[in-house]
This record gives sequence, structure tokens and C-alpha cells, in this order.
Amino acid sequence: MRRLTKCLLPAAAAAVAMQVVRYPRTNPAVESDLVAPSEIKSVLHRACYDCHSNETTWPWYTAIAPASWIIHHDVEEGRSRLNFSSWADYAEDPGTKARKLDEISKSVARGDMAPWYYRMLHPDAGLSDGERAELTRWVAEELGSEPASP
Amino acid sequence: MKLKSILSRSVGRALVAIVLAALLASAVATHAADAAAAQEPLPAITLKNGRFDPSELVVPANTAFKLQVTNGDAEAIEFESFEVHRERVVKPGETITVFMPSLSPGTYKFFDDFHGSTPNGVIVAK
Repeated sequence: MRRLTKCLLPAAAAAVAMQVVRYPRTNPAVESDLVAPSEIKSVLHRACYDCHSNETTWPWYTAIAPASWIIHHDVEEGRSRLNFSSWADYAEDPGTKARKLDEISKSVARGDMAPWYYRMLHPDAGLSDGERAELTRWVAEELGSEPASP
Repeated sequence: MKLKSILSRSVGRALVAIVLAALLASAVATHAADAAAAQEPLPAITLKNGRFDPSELVVPANTAFKLQVTNGDAEAIEFESFEVHRERVVKPGETITVFMPSLSPGTYKFFDDFHGSTPNGVIVAK
């Protein structure tokens, strides 16, 4: 019993100490959200928007370290690489918009997104084959309507 | 009565001529300005031997601009800036034009996302 206490006490102390390092859970203003058909928006909202938009849902466990550290990193990284809340910025440069669309299509086809550990906590974030096909078709339509980049 | 009519017609013709001349002059001036702007070299960045040149590009602040990016290396690169929201693949030997937004005065990092070892560059808007 004493041995168990000896092990648990430092672990508990470490867990408490970890809470000192906190990151803000912020949602900046949505500048220019993606404009897409409602069925596409619905799928993207469910599977992607937590990390790839300024409309992140921050459940209670996102305030507890070390989960908070990992989630904060994922959201920062996700927003940097693709942020649906800044879509008009990408669209100012047709080549950038095309590149983002291409990456969405490839990630969806490969099954990279949403990441497996995110899907464990958000089972509804998984994409069905039909939804993958729908997203791929939407990307193809968007790319088809884009003027050739210079 | 006839003289009045002739006078009125002449004034009308003169007015039309003045308006046409003003429109023509405006068109010529606009064309000349466009031509001058077209002759000005675009801000440009070249990646060569795994380095951006220049690594610091100074551009006017608060003005949208076009940026030419050339890949002088043998592998494709990805010119990317999180801060400016731009991401473009550039094939070997290719030059692309990136439509850049109007930037507030400040420093904006860019990098080659395909090659982490390539040193970052910055765009300085002044």
C-alpha cells in the first residue's frame, strides 16, 4: 500500500503541475467562411471545422493538460495549413485556392482526415464512402470552374 | 432666327468635340500608365541551391501586388506562407505568379514546405 502511495503521489503531483502550463482556447473572428453547397458544408463542419476553422468546439477535456497541449497544437497547426474561415484569402490567388482544394481531395481520398485519434473522441467525424465521393466531386467541380492559374 | 439656330448647332458641335477630346486624352493617359506599370519588373523570389534569393523581399505596404516565384532547383518546391495565406507548388525550372494581398506594415515569413532544410525567407512590407 505504502509502495503504491509512493508511486501515485509523484504522479498526482506531476499531473497537478502540468496544469500550470495553459494555452488559450480561442476562436478568432470568422473573416470569410467557405461558400459551398449545404451538404458539403455539413460534412466539413462535422469532420474538419474543429481544427480547420475559427469555429472550434472546445469540450471540457481541452482544458486539462496534457490533452490541452496536444489539442492546442493540433488546432494551431490545422488553422495554419487550412482555415475555412479565411477561405476568401485563398481565393484571391486562384493557384492557392486550387492547391488547397487539391489537398482536401487527396486527404479525403487517402483517409488521412480526420486523424484517427480525433475520430476516437468524435466518432461522428468519420466520413462514409458516399461522403468521400461527394467531397471529391465537389472539389473537382470547384477546380473545373477555376481559371487556369498564371 | 436662322442665325440663332446655326449658332446653337455650332456650340453643340463644339461641346461634343470637347467631350470627345477629353475622353480620348483620358484613354491615352490610362493606357500610358498601364503600359508603364506593365514594364515595371514584378517583385521576384528565386529558389536556387536550396536557398531563397532574396531571403528578404521588401514591398510597399497596403498595396496588393504580384510576386514571381522561380524554382531554379531540380526538385519541386512548395512556396508557402501561413501568415499571407498562400501556398503554391513550383515545378523545377518553372516561374509562377502569385497574387499577393495588400499587407500591413510588418514582416511575413515564407518557406518551402517540401524541404524543411531550406532556410525561411521574409517579405517585409514598408
